[in-house]
Amino acid sequence: MSDQKKTFVVTRFDPDKDDAPRQDTYEVPVEPQWKVLDALNYIKDEIDGTLSHRWSCRMAVCGSCGMMVNGVPSLTCKDPLSNYGDRVEVAPLANFPVVRDLVVELDGFMNKLESVKPWVLTAKQRAVEEGTYRQSPAELEQFRHFSMCINCMLCYSACPVVANEPEFLGPAAIALGHRYNLDSRDEGNRERNEIFRGEGTVFSCSYANECSEVCPKHVDPAAAVNQAKFGAVIDWATSFVVPRREKE
Amino acid sequence: MARAAHPEAMKPRTPGRTRTAPPLMPDEFPTRGRYLPYVLFDATGLVYMLVGLAALRVVWDLGSGPEAWGVVQEQLRHPLYVAFHGISLVSVIFVGVRFFRLFPKAQPPKIGPIAPPPEPVITAMLYATWIGVAGVMTVILAGGIF
Repeated sequence: MSDQKKTFVVTRFDPDKDDAPRQDTYEVPVEPQWKVLDALNYIKDEIDGTLSHRWSCRMAVCGSCGMMVNGVPSLTCKDPLSNYGDRVEVAPLANFPVVRDLVVELDGFMNKLESVKPWVLTAKQRAVEEGTYRQSPAELEQFRHFSMCINCMLCYSACPVVANEPEFLGPAAIALGHRYNLDSRDEGNRERNEIFRGEGTVFSCSYANECSEVCPKHVDPAAAVNQAKFGAVIDWATSFVVPRREKE
Repeated sequence: MARAAHPEAMKPRTPGRTRTAPPLMPDEFPTRGRYLPYVLFDATGLVYMLVGLAALRVVWDLGSGPEAWGVVQEQLRHPLYVAFHGISLVSVIFVGVRFFRLFPKAQPPKIGPIAPPPEPVITAMLYATWIGVAGVMTVILAGGIF
């Protein structure tokens, strides 16, 4: 074990005992190659087994271990401890209700995600004998980077609109809805654009751009939200001059 | 984190099985990272509102006769008015530069069958239009045209 030690100030909250979150401090002997998550696991395994935090893949794929590290939303399995000084503050993701310690309530996000219908919508299900839905590399390229979202919710923690307007759909949900609007196999643009023109959706975004800044997968949700604005307006305007017709 | 976010931020439609602590937001808001430009960007709305009111007042005086027009022209030379217009100019440049930086990124991959031009081209078009319109306005106000 390394001689180097760092002080971890971790936000704790026990819904059975605490009225409000508090902070506990731990001295952790750290290795140079450690990520923030390694230190949290050390605390859990060696110092205080009551600490609750979410994690799974340890390779920035599952999106489970998002937390606030020194006030910035961060994927703790990807975030090297060497980025920080001797004192590291770890807190649950901002803008989310806290279930326990570093674990946040996800159902609000799931409700919002579901509302944008993030799946391929087709007017008529294709029969198996008709073959697969085909897509060219150029068509895939239209939306590929928006499909890289791992639902880690760092963007929700960074977004000042989410913090102040509870009805706002938020960056990841809009980015995923927009991703399906750009998918050549999808026929749900009109449905989603109607949702996007509603209250608390794309036009609530004032382009702080902080969501794209913290996104660990470089999805650029701010671009998606603002492209969705454009798409929703074009869809509304063309509805007056071009008769609606389904995709062939 | 110590600042309180909206108490219902990211609240689920149906209550969870355990009591939860209310959501918090980063202490650093609104000064960290891109928060500050975001807040300043929105705050420039106040400047534009005042510019609008000042413009209405000038138009009103213009319609009230040569004497009133002379008075308002004199007032516009007051240092406070000059400072206000300096702040307005800074606000317009700040918003313009920020908007021009973000606008190319907000383009859809395709507009109908046509793909938008590359980002540097869109940016160049925006700046060229801005400089062109500002140039024409300067020539008009200097008495070069009309």
